[in-house]
Amino acid sequence: MPKVSLFIPCFVDQLTPEVGLDMVKVLRRIGYDVDFPENQTCCGQPAFNSGYWNDARVLAERFVDVFRASENIVCPSGSCTTMVRNFYPELLVGNPKFDEATKLGQRVFEFSEFLIKVAKVTDVGATFPHRVAYHDACHALRELHLKNEPRELLKHVRNLELVDLPYSEDCCGFGGTFAINFNMISGAMGDTKAGNAEKTGAEFLTSTDPSCLMHIDGILRQRKSSVRTIHLAQILASSGDEPR
Amino acid sequence: MTTAAQDFLRSAAEKSANLTHRHILRKGIDTYNTAVNRGLSRFMNWEAARQKCHEIKFEAINHLDRYLLEFEQHVNERGGHIFWAQNAEDARKYITDLAKRHNVRTIVKSKSMVTEEIHLAAALEAQEIKVFETDLGEFIVQLRGEPPYHIVTPAMHLTRDDIAALFKEKLGDVDTNDPQELVAAARRALRKAFFSAEMGITGANFLIADSGMIAITTNEGNADLGVSLPKIHVAVVGIEKVVPRLQDLALFWPVLATSGTGQPITCYNTLIGGPRGPKEFAGPEEFHVVLLDNGRTELLADPEQRDALHCIRCGACLNACPVYRTVGGHTYGTTYSGPIGSVLTPHLRGIHEFNHLSYASSLCGACTDVCPVKIDLHHHLLHNRRNAVNAHERPGSEGSEFKMFRWVMQSPARLATFGAIGRLAMRMIYGLGLAGTALDPTRKWTKMHAPPRIPKKSFRAQWKSSLAEKK
Amino acid sequence: MAQTENPGREAILGRIREALTKPAAHHVAKTTDDIFFPMGDPIEEFQKQCAINNTEFLSTTSVDASAAAIAEIISGLPAGPIFLQDAPILRRLSPTLLNGHKVQWSTEGIPAEESQATITLAETLVAATGSVFVSSACGGRGAAVVAPIHIVLAFTDQLVPDLETAFARLREQGTPEQNSMIVLITGSSRTADIEKILVMGAHGPRRFVVALSPRSE
Repeated sequence: MPKVSLFIPCFVDQLTPEVGLDMVKVLRRIGYDVDFPENQTCCGQPAFNSGYWNDARVLAERFVDVFRASENIVCPSGSCTTMVRNFYPELLVGNPKFDEATKLGQRVFEFSEFLIKVAKVTDVGATFPHRVAYHDACHALRELHLKNEPRELLKHVRNLELVDLPYSEDCCGFGGTFAINFNMISGAMGDTKAGNAEKTGAEFLTSTDPSCLMHIDGILRQRKSSVRTIHLAQILASSGDEPR
Repeated sequence: MTTAAQDFLRSAAEKSANLTHRHILRKGIDTYNTAVNRGLSRFMNWEAARQKCHEIKFEAINHLDRYLLEFEQHVNERGGHIFWAQNAEDARKYITDLAKRHNVRTIVKSKSMVTEEIHLAAALEAQEIKVFETDLGEFIVQLRGEPPYHIVTPAMHLTRDDIAALFKEKLGDVDTNDPQELVAAARRALRKAFFSAEMGITGANFLIADSGMIAITTNEGNADLGVSLPKIHVAVVGIEKVVPRLQDLALFWPVLATSGTGQPITCYNTLIGGPRGPKEFAGPEEFHVVLLDNGRTELLADPEQRDALHCIRCGACLNACPVYRTVGGHTYGTTYSGPIGSVLTPHLRGIHEFNHLSYASSLCGACTDVCPVKIDLHHHLLHNRRNAVNAHERPGSEGSEFKMFRWVMQSPARLATFGAIGRLAMRMIYGLGLAGTALDPTRKWTKMHAPPRIPKKSFRAQWKSSLAEKK
Repeated sequence: MAQTENPGREAILGRIREALTKPAAHHVAKTTDDIFFPMGDPIEEFQKQCAINNTEFLSTTSVDASAAAIAEIISGLPAGPIFLQDAPILRRLSPTLLNGHKVQWSTEGIPAEESQATITLAETLVAATGSVFVSSACGGRGAAVVAPIHIVLAFTDQLVPDLETAFARLREQGTPEQNSMIVLITGSSRTADIEKILVMGAHGPRRFVVALSPRSE
C-alpha cells in the first residue's frame, strides 16, 4: 500500500479536527496507509507572517526533524503547505537544515494537490447532494498555483451542483493576525465574501483552507445566513448519508 | 502605537463600515478590471512583457549612477538644467527660488505624485504663487482641499453629483452633473491659467538615458499645454524613473497604459529634450529637471527590496488590493498608498512610523500577480515585518506573545495541554454568553464573528484513541 | 550655459554607488519570447485602431484629395484662425486648406487661443496602435493641443507596423537630436476621471484627424 504522512495544522488539530479526520477517511478509501507523526506541532507560519523569523526558524527546524522519515506528506491547508514549500527555503538560508528543508518542501502537498498530482485520482467515491460554491484561498491559488485541482475533484462528487462564486479569487480577509489586529478591515472583506456566497444561492461554501472557512463561517453565522461552510476534505469524505 | 498607526486604524474602521464608499470603489474597480482584461488580450504574451519590463528596470536600477550620468550629460548638452535634490526641502527651495527669480505669479501643474511627495504646491502658494492643478482629477481634489485618492485616478471616490456640486460652488458657471459638461467647465476654467502661467511644472513617467529626454504620459493633453505655453518648464522626477534607451518605451508605453487604465496606449506620450530649440518658434526658454532622492537611495541600498524601485506608478496594485478596495486611498495617510505605498513608505519615511502599513495586509498576493514590472510586492510586506521586528519597532507585548507561542509549539505535550485548557475556557466563556465582553480574550475575533464551535477533543486525541485502534 | 550649482549631486551619486556595492539577486527569469501579435496589413490595422481610439481616418488617393477632404472639415468650423505648420507642401496647399479662414503660420509662434484648428505634417505613423508621431518640427510646441481640432496630413510611406520600428525610424531620421519635443498622439484628448466615464476633449483637441495618401504630388 502506498504511504502518506499527515501534516495536521495546529489550528485544525485544536479547532477543526473533523477536517483532519475526514481527510484520513478519504485517503484510506483510495488505498493509502496513513500515519500521523505525533511529535508534530506547528509549521511556524504565525510567527513568520508577523515578522518573528527567529521564533519561526526554531519551529521550522523542528518540523524538518519531525517529518524526516516521511515520504509524501499531505496537509489540509494551502497556507501551511505554502509555508513549508515556499518559505522554509527563505527562512533557513544559511542554516544547516536548508537542503533538507528544501527537499522536504517538494514532498509536502496540499490535499487536493496530493489527490490529483500524486495519487492521480479525480473521483474519490464521494456523494454530496448539495449546491456548492468554491472559494479560491489565496495561498493555494497564488503560491501553490492550484485552481483547477479542487474543482476537478468537486466535479466528480455525485449529486453535487457546483456553482460559480463571483469574485472567487478575492481574499476573504482572514490573513492570520490581520484578522485580529485589523479586525474591522478583515471583517469587511469577509462580509463582502459572505455576501457574494449568498448571491449564488449555494447551500455550502467550500475551500482548501480551514482558516478561510473559519473566518467566513463566523461572519455567515453572524449574518444568520443560510449558507454554511464545509472543508473540501469533508465533502470528499461524504457518502451522502451524513446529516448536513 | 505611533500617531500614524492610530490614524490609520481610526480611518480604516470608519471606511470599512461605510457601505456606500465600498460600493463606489467596487464599481470603479470593476470598470477598471473590464478594461484591463480587454487590454491584456492585446498582448500575445503578457508574461513575457512583464519579464522584459522587469529586466529593463533591473538593468537601469542596478546601474543607476551610470544611467543618471548619461541622462545628465545629454540634458546639459541640449541646454537643460539638472538639479540633484537630496530631499524634499532641497527640491522645494530650488523650484521656489527659480520661480521668485523669474517673478512667476502663476504655475500650471500636471499630475505628479512626486510633487505631492515633496508638498510642492503648498510651498509655492506660501510664496503667493498661484498653482493650478490641470489634470482633471487633481483639479477636483485641489478644489476640495484634499490629497489625491489614487495615484492614477485622483478623484475615484467621488460621484458626478459630488463633482457637480463642487464645480457649482467653486466655478460658478456650472449647473449640471453631466460628465461631458463638467469636463468642459474644467477646460474653460483652466485655459486662462494655461495661457497666463509663467511656469509649467510636470513630473515624468520615464527619464531616457541615451537621449536626455523625459517622457510624460497623459490622456488629457494638459502636460503638453504646460510644456508649450509657459516660459519655464520644470520637471520633478524620482531618480528611479530612468530607463536606458528610447526604444525601451516601445514596451513601457503600452504596458503602462494597459496596467494603468486598460488602454492599448495613452493618448499623449510626450518626449521633452530641453527648452525650445534654436530653430523652434514656440516653447519654454528654460528647462529644468529636478532629480529627487528623498529616501530612494535608502531603498536602493536594500538589495532584497531594490526591485520596488522598478515601480512605474501604474496603480494596478492599488486596484487589485482587497484592503485598498475596502478602506480607500486616503486612509493610508501617505503619498503612495496601496501595496506599493506600504512597501515603499517605511524606506522613504522610516520604519518606526510606517511599519503598520506592512501589517495591514492579508498577504493575499493579488498585487504581485498584477504588477507589470514583477515587483515581489507581498513578499516585501513580509520582509518589512521582519525588519520591523529586528529593529525592535513592534510592541513588546507582541514579542512576548510569540515567544510564548514558540515555547508552546516546541512540545506536543504543551500544545495538547494549553490547547485543551484554551478550548475549555472558550467553551465556558461562549457557553455563558460572554462572547464579546471584557471577559472574552477572543473579543477582537468575536466582534466580527459569531463565536466558533469549540471541539471537545483535538485531532491528535481522536487519532490516538479511535483511529489507532482501527490499525 | 552656466552649470547649475549642485551641492547634492556628489552626495546622491555617492549614496547610489555605495548602495550598489551590494548586488541584488535576480528573481525573474529572462525571456526572448515575442510579446506582441504579428502584424497583418499595416493600413488595415491603422484604420482599425483609429476607429478604436477615436481618430478620424481619411484614406485618400492623392495629396490633393487629402487637401480637399481637410478643406471640407475646415469649412464646417466657426470663424477663426487656422494654424498651419510652415512647410513647403502646406504653403502650396494653403489656399485649399484654409477655405477662407485666416492663417497663422507656425513660424509666427504658438497657436493663438482662438485658433479653430491646427494642420501639421507628421514624422511617422504607427499601425499597431493607430498613432502618429509628431515633433516640434511639425508646427512647434502646442500645435497638437491648443486648438479644438488637430489635423495631420500624412503619407503612406510614413506608416510603420509598430512602435519599435517607429523609434528606429525616428533615430535614423535624427528626430530626437533635432527636436526638443516629440509626441506620440493616439486619438483625441480624453479623460475618465469622473466615475471612470470616458469623455472626449479634455484639455487637448476633441477631434484628431489623419488624412493619409500616397506621397506622389
